[in-house]
Amino acid sequence: MNRFPIDKDEVLRYLGYRNQNLDEVTDNLINECMEEMRGLIREKHIYRFFDIYNENGNVHLSETNLTLTGNDIKNHLGGSESCVLMAVTLGNNVDSKIRYYERKSITRALILDACATTAVEEVCDEICEDLENTANKQNRTLTSRYSPGYGDLPIDIQKDFLSVLGAEKAIGLTANSHSILIPRKSVTAIVGVMDIKNKQNRRDSRSVPENNTCLSCKNYSTCMYRREGGRCGAYRKA
Amino acid sequence: MVDVGLIEKLKNRTLLFDGAMGTALQSRGLKLGELPDVANINSPEMVIDIHEGYVNCGVDVITTNAFGANETKLESSGFTVEEIVDAAVQNAKKAIKGRDVYVALGIGPIGELLEPMGTLSFEDAYNIFKRQVIQGVKSGADLILIETMIDLYEAKAAVLAAKENSTLPVFCTMSFEEDGRTFTGCNVTSMVMVLEGLGVDALGVNCSLGPKELAPIVEEILSIATIPVMVQANAGLPSIVDGETVFNISPEEFSYYKKMFVENGVRIVGGCCGTTDEHIKHLVDTVKDIKIQPRQNKALSGVCTPTKAVIIDRVKVIGERINPTGKKRFKEALVKGDIDYILKEAIDQVDAGAHILDVNVGLPEIDEVKTIVRVIKEIQSILDVPLQIDSTDPEVIEQGLRIYNGKAIVNSVNGEDSILESILPIVKKYGASVVGLTLDEKGIPSKAEDRFKIAEKIVKKAEQYGIGKEDIYIDCLTLTAAAQQEEVMETVKALSMVKEKLNVKTVLGVSNVSFGLPNRDLINRTFLAASLFAGLDLPIINPMDKEMMDTILASGVLWNEDKGAAEYLKYNENVSAEQVVVKDSKDKREDDLFEIIIKGIKEKAKTATVKLLEHTEPLSVVDEYIVPALDLVGEKYEKGETFLPQLIQSAETVKNVFEIIKERLSKDGSSQISNGKIVLATVKGDIHDIGKNVVKVLLENYNYDVIDLGRDVAKEKIIEAAVEHDVKLIGLSALMTTTVKNMAETIEALKELDKNYVVMVGGAVLNQDYADMINADYYAKDAKGAVTIAKKVLG
Repeated sequence: MNRFPIDKDEVLRYLGYRNQNLDEVTDNLINECMEEMRGLIREKHIYRFFDIYNENGNVHLSETNLTLTGNDIKNHLGGSESCVLMAVTLGNNVDSKIRYYERKSITRALILDACATTAVEEVCDEICEDLENTANKQNRTLTSRYSPGYGDLPIDIQKDFLSVLGAEKAIGLTANSHSILIPRKSVTAIVGVMDIKNKQNRRDSRSVPENNTCLSCKNYSTCMYRREGGRCGAYRKA
Repeated sequence: MVDVGLIEKLKNRTLLFDGAMGTALQSRGLKLGELPDVANINSPEMVIDIHEGYVNCGVDVITTNAFGANETKLESSGFTVEEIVDAAVQNAKKAIKGRDVYVALGIGPIGELLEPMGTLSFEDAYNIFKRQVIQGVKSGADLILIETMIDLYEAKAAVLAAKENSTLPVFCTMSFEEDGRTFTGCNVTSMVMVLEGLGVDALGVNCSLGPKELAPIVEEILSIATIPVMVQANAGLPSIVDGETVFNISPEEFSYYKKMFVENGVRIVGGCCGTTDEHIKHLVDTVKDIKIQPRQNKALSGVCTPTKAVIIDRVKVIGERINPTGKKRFKEALVKGDIDYILKEAIDQVDAGAHILDVNVGLPEIDEVKTIVRVIKEIQSILDVPLQIDSTDPEVIEQGLRIYNGKAIVNSVNGEDSILESILPIVKKYGASVVGLTLDEKGIPSKAEDRFKIAEKIVKKAEQYGIGKEDIYIDCLTLTAAAQQEEVMETVKALSMVKEKLNVKTVLGVSNVSFGLPNRDLINRTFLAASLFAGLDLPIINPMDKEMMDTILASGVLWNEDKGAAEYLKYNENVSAEQVVVKDSKDKREDDLFEIIIKGIKEKAKTATVKLLEHTEPLSVVDEYIVPALDLVGEKYEKGETFLPQLIQSAETVKNVFEIIKERLSKDGSSQISNGKIVLATVKGDIHDIGKNVVKVLLENYNYDVIDLGRDVAKEKIIEAAVEHDVKLIGLSALMTTTVKNMAETIEALKELDKNYVVMVGGAVLNQDYADMINADYYAKDAKGAVTIAKKVLG
């Protein structure tokens, strides 16, 4: 069963590939790593719906003690009546194998790391697709994923985020004292749920000048997603 | 008095624990994300009410609502660990109202993962648990229940904290998934070995699954555990329905499985998430009168890491290479703290088939305690091979065993009383196995019978300290055939006596036998075969010696251990495949070192270099092959003709070439070539290490000595290394915005000490502006950039 496809183009993108000559040795190595990664992943995820309301300029999640601060998440969830908190991890096995290869073959570690990054995003996409299909049946649709640390949503909500989901017990996902997710190849994200009609309106109102939202982002110069050639969820949405 | 009562009770009947606290509080209005422990002070009546419900069911023990009452989780709660733990114990006592029910101090995971998975150190974890234990004892808890652990290392820290700071009984349960492993990969056998070794009073499983799903795991534990087994299952598999976590098995179904567990030998039962008064009432009524079934499992002989248990049920190989004796290059690595070299020895031995690695870092000029701790941690962060701690210093052994993750072997004790008395208590405390050498203050007896007597003494003494025979491995000591020819067979004879009469495992370092003789391999493997025939379980050898490994493989067939010769046949298939590959590559004639580097074919680097060195001086190899190849590779990368993996493959190839060149220079006694020293570290809190490691490989290619401090490195350690190694250039890496501030602090501290330190920084979140802002001297945009900076600063 090919549970984790791992898109090779994405892997290459993370590795900084821009149509250079891909020699046979490297190409084989990447294929091998993709295969190895598929065998290492012990994917676990959890998600949960919450009603949201605005208070004092912040977004609150009902029945929890979690408050999402900042303008960016407020905008992201604008028009949403509820949201999904999701947490995904590929497990410790992936980390420990990458750690091993960092000592044995750094090239392999580098490629496996890119494979894992690709895989965790693919898992997130798959979950969101399922959620979107379910939502559509109720005339609802989802926003893109928005993670702690994007824009002005502080990354230090990570621990509270995980504890609202009970993620430590449910999927073994934790955050360290510096809000780094451990296991490393993990994602936490917030997805807004809104009426399909709302989304149409919102798209229209925002479609004109703001496509290049990266430039207006306060993390523009330091954004790791941009450096890796990508965009964070805040951009994808726009 | 109380604990005696509890353990006494356990001898005669099933001990009954309570049900869920956290989910019970949630159903009474606790918000998601709120710490249940705080309710001990904010809504004590609610907590007491839940406890009372369980007491009324007739349980023997209730567990305090203090699962998360550690300083990390309570950090922003406004309460101290002591306040919450005390309130939790008092609430439990109020619910009991003098009835004959015990209070268990519940201790759950800290919430942050320990090294090497996370950044919390073992020592910090121990101290966190210690606070909970001390207050629990003070407040009057009757036992300590460490529960819901997913990391065996964290469980070990908690058990040590409990045992070193209290005299209460300690129970410990972990949470497993349906595949029989915890989230961190810990398996059942390893859990049982380690927890039993640490001397807990009961062990088992809780949470994560319902009783039905836990059944196979419980069965596995019951098949090997030699102490009482405990099971606290959830009320079924959790599922989320309309935003609520639902546990949906009935009290009847819950009890049905628990009854089965008790009938199969489980001695302590209760409930976890989702269980209510009804579940527990039904459970108590169902199991309380079942006659207990004492189980008589034979203790396993083996060692482990959390993810791998090595059972000594047939010959297992102990790799001997991590040892400085007679190895110049290894000594150099130890003195310089070149951990990569040591790790390479570890990786190579495991690749060659070693099951266990001996670790000896005894060298007069280094701090052996500090070094053993570091080497053990480093090996365990990348390999799941069990280790044998090899030292004569009790302090080295103790510190090594303390931070070792799993069950280790101690190498060694001998028949001397003072040694037995100083080391055996440590072996017992940490639940290790121990090697006993058949020598004493009078030396090695020449006769087998006398060596046997010493072995007998060691076994007797170890048993007095509570170390079971399964954990004693006797070494009858190999003598050199060239010097003491008539005594060689005495070793083999002693070995077979020990095996037969003492019924313990045997271990033997083999290669000494051939010392001083030509064609040593032949003598070694013949002696090995004889020893294996006499019953040797654990040969200590160089696993890279293929012929020795082949002898062991063949003995597996001959001694009827390798059933149907399956392993032997498989191995021989691979051998013929390998030969074909070698032939194939010869035809292509890709043996020019320059080409090999450009193409990054690192497997060929070694042979090509050795060949080249036959007629070329090492320094000429550097100037004529390596430097031009590196320049070309770098140029191609900068022009965008190649991308990162290609650059790094070439860099790794060069690294392999240098390893050969360095060995050669070391052998020749020539001075090593170096362009200067650089300290590299990923800063405190950050564990993203790959970028830094890429930089390191490239810097090493350009002949810089890199002192790599690893990841999550505190500023104090960075300063210490900079001073100790007298380094001018320091490279720091950080990948997260949250850890850049630690980078800034490190730079500030370095500059404060000496403004001449030059610091370069790199990592995904940095850019030139950011680097300027935190007062770094240079910003390296990539690994190639770091090399340019190094050239500028150090030449």
